[in-house]
Amino acid sequence: MSTGSLEVRGLTTSYGAVVAVDEVDLVAEPGRITAVLGANGAGKTTLLRTISGLVRPSAGQVLLDGADLTRTRAEEIARAGIAHVPEGRGVITELTVEENLRLGALLGAARRRTEHGLAEVYEMFPPLAERRRQDAHVLSGGERQMLVIGRALLTGPSVLLLDEPSLGLAPRIVAQIFALLRGLVDAEGTTVLLVEQNARSALSIADAGIVLNLGRVVARDDAATLAADDALRHAYLGF
Amino acid sequence: MQQFLNVTLTGLGQGAVYAAFALALVLIWRSTRIVNFAQGAMGMFTTYLALTLIEAGQSYWVGLVVALVAGLVLGAVIERLVIRPVEGGPELNAVIVTLGLFVALQALAAILFGSTFRSFPAPFDLRGFTVGDVNIAFTANSIYVIAAVVVVMLALVALFRFTDLGLQMRAAAFSQEVSRLLGVRVGRMLTLGWALAAVVGSLSGLLIAGGSLVFPAYMDAVIVYGFVAAVLGGLDSPGGAVVGGLTIGLLLSYVSGYLGSELVALAALATLVAVLLVRPQGLFASTAARRV
Repeated sequence: MSTGSLEVRGLTTSYGAVVAVDEVDLVAEPGRITAVLGANGAGKTTLLRTISGLVRPSAGQVLLDGADLTRTRAEEIARAGIAHVPEGRGVITELTVEENLRLGALLGAARRRTEHGLAEVYEMFPPLAERRRQDAHVLSGGERQMLVIGRALLTGPSVLLLDEPSLGLAPRIVAQIFALLRGLVDAEGTTVLLVEQNARSALSIADAGIVLNLGRVVARDDAATLAADDALRHAYLGF
Repeated sequence: MQQFLNVTLTGLGQGAVYAAFALALVLIWRSTRIVNFAQGAMGMFTTYLALTLIEAGQSYWVGLVVALVAGLVLGAVIERLVIRPVEGGPELNAVIVTLGLFVALQALAAILFGSTFRSFPAPFDLRGFTVGDVNIAFTANSIYVIAAVVVVMLALVALFRFTDLGLQMRAAAFSQEVSRLLGVRVGRMLTLGWALAAVVGSLSGLLIAGGSLVFPAYMDAVIVYGFVAAVLGGLDSPGGAVVGGLTIGLLLSYVSGYLGSELVALAALATLVAVLLVRPQGLFASTAARRV
């Protein structure tokens, strides 16, 4: 994967009268996992969807290595190297496991980033190899998460946006997936923005974090400091 | 027995054309969730283009190629200019737009090509075969019709199953948002879907015209029966379109042959009502209802 630094400046996104993301500033550096934390409805998902182009912001900028991607179409943002694994995982259930992965590989080929191949993804995630020709809807939650992470890897991204990858997964699987992410980031220097409600697990692998509340950034620090801040944790993170 | 054979073979020939038309409807439904009420008019228009060339001295095959290419272009242009603004909005808007297109194309055809009945040549023999002393009402042209539809369908299956482009088109149809996140240029996939559907619609317009008379409204029967076939098979299912088309073709042929041709339209209507009452999603659709 190539590296890229992601910057968000004064980003504001509204759904009609409701301001979901309120003047958010954020810098996510290569080789680091930046956690985006906060309660339900804090604006975390909308933030990711604005960065990846699924939703238009009403103000502010999204910059990738200094290039302004703010009002670019989602498919072009993906082609620029931002891989967004959305809320709910985004498995295309009518396609097979292999077809889902091939879609990722096609983008990787288009971006000329073919460092990862299908064979490698199957080695990383043996359950996917077993089910490669089956329709993706037969996969369990953990297997689906593996599928969409594998698919995102195949695109050769500079930036990886992950929306609640731990949702609905057993703690053991969550630990596996988080360990895998940490390993990848350390090995390849990808920029990762990790949205999680499971703040404890997220902060255990993150380098830095921001906390959102009602669309605004209420805390910004390195992960260890955030995890140690009891008042903050109680108020916004639920532990 | 002979009559049964004749009626069955005729039904298969007609059914192949309905299947092609139903397939065009299904392709557009799957990619854009729109029922293209103008499909028949588009096919009629491109057939008139072919007829103009043929009457000017070109061979049938030149006319065929021109009609298919014109269909491709027409489908792409219509999607980009007329349909794109109403995609993703309230479904009624798309219905009104395609109905309006239907009316406009028929009127335009009448202006450009006249509304008199014109005969359209068939590329192959229209006489039935004689086996021994039995006359079979199955013609060389019917074989061509069925073969043409089969070839086009196999080509489409190959495209969707085995090519990268086909994979991207399917992904865009199943999940636009996720496809965007994977760099699929969804807009182009939708345009291509309409273009391919228009090619299939053009083919059905040409095939039904062969050996028959062409006038601006000549596709109306195919439109109605093709639509019933698509509903019967399930708007979501290309395989269903084929089965539905052949079934309707056979059914209407039996009704015409054994009960009287006046009852054909009634039989089609009865089939439509029965499908909508008993299994509205059609025989082969995967889901009974779409959650919004």
